[in-house]
Amino acid sequence: MTQSDGDLSGIRVLDLAAEPGFFAGKVLGDLGADVVKVEPPEGDRARRRGPFWGGVVDAERSLLWLALNTSKRGMTLALDRPRGRELFFALAERADVVLETEPPGSLAARGLGWETLHARNRHLILCSITPFGQTGPRAAWRGSDLTVVATSGNLYATGDPDRAPVRCSLPVSYYHGGLEAAVGVLFALLARDQSGEGQHVDVSLQAAMVMPSIGTAAMFRMTGQRGSRVGAFMHAGRTIQREIWPCRDGFVSFALRGGPARVPGLIAMVAYMDEHGMASARLKAIDWKSYNHNLLTQEDVDFLTREFGAFFATKTTAELYRAACERSLMLAPVNTPREITGSPQLAARGFFVDVENPGRGTLRYPGAFAVTHGARVAIRRPAPRLGEHTAEVLHAHGLAAADVERLRAEGVV
Amino acid sequence: MTPLFEGMRILEFGGGAAGPIATRYFADHGATVIRVESRRRPDFLRILRLTPTTPGGVDGSAHFAVLNPNKLSIALDLSRPEGVALARRLAIAADAVAENFAPGAMARWGLDYESLVRERPDLVMISTCLNGQTGPDRAYPGFGGQGSALAGFNHLTGWPDREPVGPFGTITDSLSPRFAALLLAAALLHRRRTGAGQHIDLAQVEAGIVCLSESLLTYTANGEILTRMGNRSRHAVPHGVFRCADEDGRDRWAAIAVHDDEDWRRLAGALGRPAWTLEPVLATVDGRRRHEDEIEARLTEWTATRTAADVAAHLQAAGLDAAPVEDFGDLHDDPQLAHRRHFRTVEHDVLGTHPVETHAIRFSAMEPRIERPAPRLGADTDVVLRELLGIEAAELDRLRAAGVLE
Repeated sequence: MTQSDGDLSGIRVLDLAAEPGFFAGKVLGDLGADVVKVEPPEGDRARRRGPFWGGVVDAERSLLWLALNTSKRGMTLALDRPRGRELFFALAERADVVLETEPPGSLAARGLGWETLHARNRHLILCSITPFGQTGPRAAWRGSDLTVVATSGNLYATGDPDRAPVRCSLPVSYYHGGLEAAVGVLFALLARDQSGEGQHVDVSLQAAMVMPSIGTAAMFRMTGQRGSRVGAFMHAGRTIQREIWPCRDGFVSFALRGGPARVPGLIAMVAYMDEHGMASARLKAIDWKSYNHNLLTQEDVDFLTREFGAFFATKTTAELYRAACERSLMLAPVNTPREITGSPQLAARGFFVDVENPGRGTLRYPGAFAVTHGARVAIRRPAPRLGEHTAEVLHAHGLAAADVERLRAEGVV
Repeated sequence: MTPLFEGMRILEFGGGAAGPIATRYFADHGATVIRVESRRRPDFLRILRLTPTTPGGVDGSAHFAVLNPNKLSIALDLSRPEGVALARRLAIAADAVAENFAPGAMARWGLDYESLVRERPDLVMISTCLNGQTGPDRAYPGFGGQGSALAGFNHLTGWPDREPVGPFGTITDSLSPRFAALLLAAALLHRRRTGAGQHIDLAQVEAGIVCLSESLLTYTANGEILTRMGNRSRHAVPHGVFRCADEDGRDRWAAIAVHDDEDWRRLAGALGRPAWTLEPVLATVDGRRRHEDEIEARLTEWTATRTAADVAAHLQAAGLDAAPVEDFGDLHDDPQLAHRRHFRTVEHDVLGTHPVETHAIRFSAMEPRIERPAPRLGADTDVVLRELLGIEAAELDRLRAAGVLE
């Protein structure tokens, strides 16, 4: 399928964001916006962080950088230098969106705050992603993935009962917050069509991590449940039920809970076990018509857990998932990138794409985050090399080659 | 100021979390979101915790109520041709259609994009499910728990010496509605400019994998599989969650992240520069990594006698990244969430007064508004059909008697 322009074609984004905002710029770029990553002359910190491609420590081989800065062009600019600031204003006067992750007040202290930007370009949207938001008693607090997840309720409820609450080892708050920021930018663009005015969009990573507990935080007032850690299990009805199960070569996700929609898969699982002679008489005697996971006793749950668990221990994740697809068992493997890159489903949808990184070779990427006619969502270009498009961007703003050379010599770009 | 989406109508089919959370973004800025529901096959969340003694039955689900405020509900029997015809007329009159049924369900009713677009050439429609609308495993049914496993989140969450866990809350069910809201908004912007609609096929597993691009690339580039490492970080030491003094019989914890060597010097100062923090080997991240167990044990000795709030306040005052671990109850006393008015209150017929969440975006010139509680099943059937389709009272009575309106 040929790639078309994307819904955000013609929208110009200046992306000043550090790691917490990488994903926001990436999804806007994948949707077709012209995203220009603006880095300090020494490059973004992420370029100096491993793991590095091939283990070679090099600013152009950081896999974090390469992963989350696709669909962006890149330039360098010393925002703290008077000439750099002047150039930034010139760029911002023709931009639709500025994306940033500085501590609240930091841009304003450098003369680049919302009031100044808005005065110079009434159409501009400034989107700020910070740990706790632009104002409020904790606005000045430092924060990162670990600490914003800690203050969201989600961390407390994740992990084993005998150990500390535990986070996902990749920064999920940056993906959640980045998406929230991108939604905010889109809403501000739609509002600008009506009002003619841009807005300041203020995204709090902490607040963005409350929704991932899927209503549990709001339900506290009705349930009194503060959350508790039950490891690979879940609270359901009056019991604790296993959700992640060991099998012969790994783990699978499989739930006893789920309301009436869950029951056909449990019946199919018992039939599958019976074909292998591993469904006991008691298991086969269950009256599934009256099955309600909310009414199970812990003894019922422990019985089911022994039966299903013993069967899973004889099967591989691949065998169980194949059966789950054929028989609608509602079971899935706990995948690693090895299984994900080998998935026939993802291959059939052409999900993975090979992206040429000039001078370094080809890398296989997860591709579009959604499928549309004409591939309107797509990785449009590899992550930029440091300063790769500096001259291109400045030329488009009317600077001659000699001007750019002078700026380079002065250390502004 | 007029709400951004005033006058816009979104028709929503399906249920659970992944679909309904997406349309909330629009409802909270003025769109009319109409849920097409069924009494014979109610929304998954309306019956997930249902027992014969649940007050209010399908209208008494707290989980449904907190995820679906600001929406209307109509109850149609889609097994009857007249029910499908009504749904079809509503879809054609709507500005956008969102559905999260298993692939093929909408087509069986003739409510799929290809059928609807013939009468509404600029239709904007999004379909979301676990594996997407195409491919050999498209029909695979699963909940968010399975989505998290397939996309690779479970493998990355937990302790390296133990089995994988969470993350709590089936993360593909929370990531995918954010993608869906973004995609719908982009499609609406595109239609406003060009007049062209589109169908969006959002596979929750794929969207989750895109988030984990760093992990995928580490494998495709280097053959290395990143795995769960507790709360530790590949870049920062120490980086963990430390036991504090119990309060009210509850376990309390503080999260502390020391991002670089300068942070380490700040931490030493905040602890009063005890001798162990001054060991030269700990001045660099590589040295600290070699002694991470000991550092964590020492830090725990310091935190264990203090409240989590004191630990966080003391370390923040020293310029460090630290926070108390808050449980779901604590969030209602969190001063920062209160400042942002993250929770709002609605009055529900069955559940009484209860909080609901808003999104995490604050705009300088717009405010999210929660104006009504989640609807009772079919509460708005008559008003929607009368106002949107011009159906008269006598015809509504006939349709109800015929069982088309549930």
